[in-house]
Amino acid sequence: MRGQRLLVSGMGGELGSLVASLLEAEPWVGALMGIDVDPPRRRLRRAEFHRIEPTDRDRIVDVVTTFDPHVLVHLAVWEPDARAGTGTARSFTDAAAAAFIGAAAECRSLESIVVRSGIELYGRSRHALTRPDESVAAQPTTEYGRMLARLEAAARQAGERIGVPVGLLRLAPVLGPHVPSPLGRLLRQPVVPYSLLADPPFSVVEDTDAARAFVAAARRRTAEPVNVVGPGAITGLQAIARGRRIPVPLFGPEWGLTRRMSHLVGAPIPDHVLEVLHRGRLADGSRARELLGITPTTSTPDVIDRLYAWESVVRVPAAVRGAA
Amino acid sequence: MATIIDLPRRAFDTTRSLAMAPVRPLIPAGMVDEWGRDEHVIRALSPLLRLRWNASVGGENRLPTRAGALLVTNDRRLSFSPLYVSWALAEATGRPVRFVGHPDIVPFGPAMRRLGAILRNPSEVRGALHHGELVVLAAAPTNHPRYAGTIDPALVGAAVMAGVGVFPVASMSSPIGRSTRVQVGAQVRLRTKRRGPLAEAELAELTQRHLQRMLDELGGVQTGMTAIDWLGEG
Repeated sequence: MRGQRLLVSGMGGELGSLVASLLEAEPWVGALMGIDVDPPRRRLRRAEFHRIEPTDRDRIVDVVTTFDPHVLVHLAVWEPDARAGTGTARSFTDAAAAAFIGAAAECRSLESIVVRSGIELYGRSRHALTRPDESVAAQPTTEYGRMLARLEAAARQAGERIGVPVGLLRLAPVLGPHVPSPLGRLLRQPVVPYSLLADPPFSVVEDTDAARAFVAAARRRTAEPVNVVGPGAITGLQAIARGRRIPVPLFGPEWGLTRRMSHLVGAPIPDHVLEVLHRGRLADGSRARELLGITPTTSTPDVIDRLYAWESVVRVPAAVRGAA
Repeated sequence: MATIIDLPRRAFDTTRSLAMAPVRPLIPAGMVDEWGRDEHVIRALSPLLRLRWNASVGGENRLPTRAGALLVTNDRRLSFSPLYVSWALAEATGRPVRFVGHPDIVPFGPAMRRLGAILRNPSEVRGALHHGELVVLAAAPTNHPRYAGTIDPALVGAAVMAGVGVFPVASMSSPIGRSTRVQVGAQVRLRTKRRGPLAEAELAELTQRHLQRMLDELGGVQTGMTAIDWLGEG
């Protein structure tokens, strides 16, 4: 098992950097390589990083096939309105899936693929299960959910063709100190809208717990979908109350105007976040213990409390030269 | 050259704090559980529920202390028996008790979910039972308070698939009075072990029969001497 070569796509993101830093400490990891359009957010000591656009498939294929990884940890997924708008996020995610999974499939040493997915793919249509487990079929009702469903289908298909197990980690909305998240950004606004008539419960997962799940999935060669969800749940109003923000109750058509205004002040509300506020987002994460050997430790209310505990941007006034 | 304008943050925080002060006690700052049940709301509503239903509970020691169980109760039309049975059993056992059947439409669905309702869907019920929850399922509603209606085998099948017990719970309430009775019966077991879907069909029928027998033994909700009973005493 020692001396394994691991490829982390999307290493530049906060989650990717966190996964890479945890993998560096694993004794079974021999070589670690990462590819992303942005450089890593953390200092990595062992990892080799390549800055490549997700659309540059030829270069990705060249670098990946030369590295010949044993495990691909595919984190190159762009959540709409996290770091890019919905259209760009969709095209980047699709391009990255085609390039990385396609390139990894050409590698002779490949033994496992671990893919970052999300519980958004279950969808929240009328009469959808409150807490879907992994056996529930994907019925996405948002653009992000559809992106994840396409990604899972591509990974599964590739895995079946080359006979490699594919682990699909379906994460609850990931929140953490530096994770770009439209939900986290919205909840941190001084005035936060919520659905007066529904105010449904949702769960989240902290970035550290999500990163630990990826490391465990890579080590165990997980071959099934797993929901990774923080224990407990909270409603929009309860989250707002915990953060001592001003709640704005909305019940219908004014949501359209609110979304536009929120976009203007820098916190866009994509459809999957709107769905969280209207229909909730829960999932059954009890199989994580069995399939990954770990469970998220930080509860949803604690993650929300930490979300509000982060310091805002601290402006340091420029020093005047020669003032001293 | 651009200049940075500092927003009056302290003034804003003070205004926000003052604006929120009247409504802050009304906002539950806690959390809901993983199925959306809100203990805070239930505790707040308990005096009202107690005002409507003065429930006496019996047989609750038959229920498992940790594992899940499907509790099948009779339902007189408009009696809201799943609601008061789940509330009374939760008070008696100290465990959250859920009930099946919230409409998936605002505002009723979300409000009932806060009280512990889950969807009337076998997969949803199975998920809850699998995770060790006590779930109350109402039989088909009847017009007579002492008749047990039919029981949906698909929902009983959820208990079979989850490997948990099915318990009949006889419930009796009055449309006008407060006195309410909730009696938990012994676990229903099939004499012949079935491997296939016959298990849930037979278990549903057997549970209905057990429930009916319990209702017959329980008598009406108004028991005791009537005003003219003394005439018959000689």
